[in-house]
Amino acid sequence: MNLKHVWIVFKKEVKDIIRDRRTIITSILVPMILIPLLNILVGGNVEKLNRDITENITVALSESSNTEEIRNLVKNEVIKDYPNISLIEVDDPIEAIKESKVRVVLDFEEDYLTKLNEGKPFVIKLLYDKSQTKSEGSLGFIWDAIDNFNRKIVERRLDTYGISKDILTPAVIEESNIADEKESAGSILAMIFPILIVILMSSAGIAPATDLVAGEKERNTFEPLLTTKPSRLSLLVGKYLTVTLFSFITVIATMVGVIIGYVINPSSFSMGSGTNITGFSIPPVALLLVIIISITLGMTFSALQIAFSTYAKSFKEAQTYLSFLMIAVMIPGYATMFMQPKEIPVYMFFVPVLNALSAFKTVFGYSIDYTYLFYTLGSSVVYVIISLWLTASLFTKEKFLFRS
Amino acid sequence: MIDIQGLSKHFDKVVAVDGISFKVNKGEVFGLLGENGAGKTTTLRMLATMLTPTSGTAKMAGFDIINEPEKVRGSIGILFGGESGLYDRLTAEENIAYFGELNDMDRNRIKERIKELAKVFNMEDYLSRRAGKLSKGMRQKVAFARAIIHDPDIMLLDEPTSGLDVSAIRDVHEFIKRCKSEGKTVIFSSHSMDEVEKLCDRVGVIHKGRLVATGTLDEIKSQYGDSDLENIFIRLVGGKSES
Repeated sequence: MNLKHVWIVFKKEVKDIIRDRRTIITSILVPMILIPLLNILVGGNVEKLNRDITENITVALSESSNTEEIRNLVKNEVIKDYPNISLIEVDDPIEAIKESKVRVVLDFEEDYLTKLNEGKPFVIKLLYDKSQTKSEGSLGFIWDAIDNFNRKIVERRLDTYGISKDILTPAVIEESNIADEKESAGSILAMIFPILIVILMSSAGIAPATDLVAGEKERNTFEPLLTTKPSRLSLLVGKYLTVTLFSFITVIATMVGVIIGYVINPSSFSMGSGTNITGFSIPPVALLLVIIISITLGMTFSALQIAFSTYAKSFKEAQTYLSFLMIAVMIPGYATMFMQPKEIPVYMFFVPVLNALSAFKTVFGYSIDYTYLFYTLGSSVVYVIISLWLTASLFTKEKFLFRS
Repeated sequence: MIDIQGLSKHFDKVVAVDGISFKVNKGEVFGLLGENGAGKTTTLRMLATMLTPTSGTAKMAGFDIINEPEKVRGSIGILFGGESGLYDRLTAEENIAYFGELNDMDRNRIKERIKELAKVFNMEDYLSRRAGKLSKGMRQKVAFARAIIHDPDIMLLDEPTSGLDVSAIRDVHEFIKRCKSEGKTVIFSSHSMDEVEKLCDRVGVIHKGRLVATGTLDEIKSQYGDSDLENIFIRLVGGKSES
């Protein structure tokens, strides 16, 4: 291998790809703009929906219950402590739910007052529309308000008998979350980031890898290239470095997109999970290992992408193979998405793709164990070597190079 | 300049080239005549070190194709038929310069040489235009310049006129004549008798991977007692087209 030749090929390929507007748009601009945009739109929508459900809850009374007496009871007793719930007047309560004017309609039992005075239970029917997220989502708040009303009535009754209201609560529950804020935030990051990095790494090189070998074959530029002085290994390494470089550029562009989305709207990042992601505080060594593991992952994928592109007879065939490669990566990604960082079995740190997913999960989930990270790093380096060897063998074998 | 010794190539059980031997002297234009699938392209690919021979070898400008492939590649220029195979997003000049760089030429020499070649092929007006925006004729001229940017001693042309229109064919013929006038040794494959008669000093007829006749046109004509090369060719290949 001649480094000067590698550099010439690399320089030309980079220039060629930079001039390809399509590749630049799909691999750099789209992730940088689309991700923050999606993040804002989806995150913003979830947030707005949450806000809408908790705020401005409108309730109405059914026609039979709509009396001065019940209106006063609801206003002064049931929803008094709930400023987010308001009782409104409507002509047709059922129609009002359908038209989203009212979230829930309260229907009181006819002789509720007699029963209430006699200390007997009476029924309040809650009418809602399950097909409307806001109507269903508001139901819990109404339940809560009625529970509160029940408690108040019981307390009043106990009071008349001179009994302490404490009798109602033999055991008081106190809960305490031992995970610190970092770990709670980390569990969201550990779910999203590993799969995002791995899928990006496996897909970012598809366009350049397809273009650089299968594309050259199809455009008849490959044969003249093979008759120039450089050895096949020099040509391969020049192309390989180009694919690897563009994979990283895409990943960096995507990460920039994610960060822009986070800066614009930090709460959108948790997708309405309620967990507050306040910032990243991963130890520098662990972060460095994440970057190195990502690089080895990118190097392995670039080598495999070039191998498939070399084997393919045409541009289209190469695209098909590489799509399968991406799907093959997505399967373990989604299969382990909800796996908790602390539950990962040791063998997973040695299996291709799963090793990187596991390492990223432990780092982003703040359950860092450096032994496991080094297992991943070691196995990843082995996979880089194997993939490069495989690609070099394919690229130097005329049987595959001139497959037709 | 070119010395081919018992060159063979097998693809699994298929024998594409079967022990061919011939020599081409310096400055000679040698025509490799044969039907489709006769083994012309495989032979040229082996001479260009793209394929490794199953047996036999060849010396190109004194370098062995098996032991010194890099030196062989530095001494040859190739032009393959059909599409000219340029990088569309690079300019004509960048396409030519890339091959100069790959053949270890220094920058100044590349610049000088491109200037020279631009004049020869009348490419001055479109050197800085992207190859993708050039007409077929313009692209072909860029491909010519690219093939000889490093001033190779040997030119290998594989059916360079296949699929071209009349004026483009004429350009290729002019190019071959230019190579000859510059003292380059040329092997070009073809299945057109007229082309071979017009341009070649010597010819070799290849059939089913074997070289069935070789010599100057006059030698072959007198050997077979016929002045029509086409008749001789049909006799040599058995009169049946292989498809």
